[in-house]
Amino acid sequence: MKLTNKFTLWYFAIMLVVLLTGGAIVYYEIQWKISRVEVVRHERLNDIIAQQIRSGGDYKDHPTRKRVSISVIPADSVPKGGYSYYTRGSNWNPEFQSYEFKLVVTSFYFINGRHYRVSSYSFIPSFYQLLPGVVDSFQWILLLLLILVVISGQLIPKYILAPFKRTLRVIQSFDLKQKEPVRLPATRTSEFRELNEFLKKMTEKAREDYRSLKEFTENASHELQTPTAIIRGKLDLLMESEIRDEQAILIAEIQNALERLSRIHSSLTLLTKLENYEYEAKTPVCISRTTRETLASFEELIQMKSLSLRTDIEENVYLPLHPSLADLLLTNLVSNAIRHNSPPAGEEEGLIRVVLSREGMVIANTGREPRVPTVELFERFKKGNPGSDSIGIGLAIVRQISDLNDFDILYEFAGGWHMVAISFHSRLPASKLLQNLLLPLQSRTESGWPKANH
Amino acid sequence: MKVLIIEDNQELARNIHDFLAREGYVCEVCGTLETAKEKLGLFQYDCILLDIGLPDGNGIGLLNTIRAEHKQSNVLIISAKNALDDKIIGLEKGADDYLTKPFHLAELHARIRAIYRRKNLEGASIVEFNEISLNTDTFEARIGDVILDTTRKEFDLLLYFLVNKNRVLSRQSIAAHLWGDYTDSLANFDFVYQHVKNLRKKISNAGGTDYINTVYGLGYKFNSHEAHQ
Repeated sequence: MKLTNKFTLWYFAIMLVVLLTGGAIVYYEIQWKISRVEVVRHERLNDIIAQQIRSGGDYKDHPTRKRVSISVIPADSVPKGGYSYYTRGSNWNPEFQSYEFKLVVTSFYFINGRHYRVSSYSFIPSFYQLLPGVVDSFQWILLLLLILVVISGQLIPKYILAPFKRTLRVIQSFDLKQKEPVRLPATRTSEFRELNEFLKKMTEKAREDYRSLKEFTENASHELQTPTAIIRGKLDLLMESEIRDEQAILIAEIQNALERLSRIHSSLTLLTKLENYEYEAKTPVCISRTTRETLASFEELIQMKSLSLRTDIEENVYLPLHPSLADLLLTNLVSNAIRHNSPPAGEEEGLIRVVLSREGMVIANTGREPRVPTVELFERFKKGNPGSDSIGIGLAIVRQISDLNDFDILYEFAGGWHMVAISFHSRLPASKLLQNLLLPLQSRTESGWPKANH
Repeated sequence: MKVLIIEDNQELARNIHDFLAREGYVCEVCGTLETAKEKLGLFQYDCILLDIGLPDGNGIGLLNTIRAEHKQSNVLIISAKNALDDKIIGLEKGADDYLTKPFHLAELHARIRAIYRRKNLEGASIVEFNEISLNTDTFEARIGDVILDTTRKEFDLLLYFLVNKNRVLSRQSIAAHLWGDYTDSLANFDFVYQHVKNLRKKISNAGGTDYINTVYGLGYKFNSHEAHQ
């Protein structure tokens, strides 16, 4: 829920409480005030009547006596300390032939040695008659307030929260790699100023860390690659001199170790760069084309190993992926599928299957059962076959690329098939994708496709 | 060909110098931006090998000078930084190619020849040796008049051999040349062997001389002096 809506709702709730209690207060206040005014009027009337009695004149038909009763009472009936009191309640009004609210004010006087009780009454508007009026007016007030709160709830936060929203936009577009520090909008709200101050510090720190990490990686790369380059050059030169066979073997062994060193180094540097998000997709890459190109570049290797390749590549599948990474991803997967391929039992040819769709891709190849669980093959320097010549970092790179782009990746071995499934959409798990992509193909072609066993 | 090697590491510079000198190139070496500017002010070079990380500054800055005053020179950046930025900026600023350390000297040589062909021979991109001729535009290989039916990789391989005649080419260097930096070239040695074998067979079948020799333990050599029978 949006902050402004939350505020509006809270305002509305508070308003409701205030209006309800306010309504009750107003209702009782009016009721009390009306009684009070009437009571005062009647007390004055009673006083006038007492005055008349005292003067001893005949006032029987005087207009003051219309709703008054006077009686002489014994002294013990006078309430103690009592001067006057009033009662009220619903009563029959003969003038209007209906029950109305009757207010009776009774006063006591001691005149000429006798105790008088003077009561006057009148019919006043019933409180129940007032109630609808109160409710009505409060309904209008409520409606007016509601409209105002809703409108101001939309407009005022827009104004007050504007700096916050601008900050949010700046932070959302913040990129570790950006060359300039973030520029946050100036604001007079102290909380936002604090927030901006904090964000400025944080992003600066992050950028600083990123920069030094990147620098370190590059320096490490530089410092190690240069000596490696020197050794390699010297060996290249040494190979051209007159050398004996034993020396040649030694040189070849050095070459191999050096090659391995340099590969490991460049792969690790690459992984670090991936972790640092140095490869950002600027435009979507056509993965269909990359796949076909990669397969074409490996065509000869596939033929050399007499593998049979079957593909099902959907056209124009675009992915927001850096072209180098797309290339790397496919190169690693395809070269793995070729290198670790061996024909299934009783067959002559090893098989490779490549399926690409908008949802994801599956690359499967026949091969020997891996010695370690397939999940572990994504780890660095883990190899399915410890005796192989590879470094065992290709799949780690593949996974890093997948993680980086929120792809879901799965490696499975079943029925003599190694299957790597990559789902391009994070909400579609790779296992589901594997099933989706392989099932229709199984029905389309009778054999030669790996079976998804889920 | 006259080559200026701008590289602060003396050992590496000497490797390059020795290797290229054997090809008959005239090489000069300098290790700082300052001396490089001096040399560029005085002489013209066909090819400039530029290391980006120099002790007195970034070599990319030098590209502007080179492009302004040495339009004919080819520039090949050699850098240990495989940073994408440097690569892109370098190529944008007018470098002709980019090579990451550690490279094989044969690869460096092949790159130098490739840029040279591209820029200096205006269209006639033919590499010839005796009866072998390669058209690097159409990827067509001929033995005399016979068109050799080579695959793309075999063509690349033959070109690599021709450029690096009489050099021992290690399998590592060939694998890196054919499949690039990021494939596991150790595991590709079998394929190198296969490719070389197929190539030799195709050349022989087309009536060509088999110049490619196996060098025990190390790799292969394209021998221009004595054909292997």
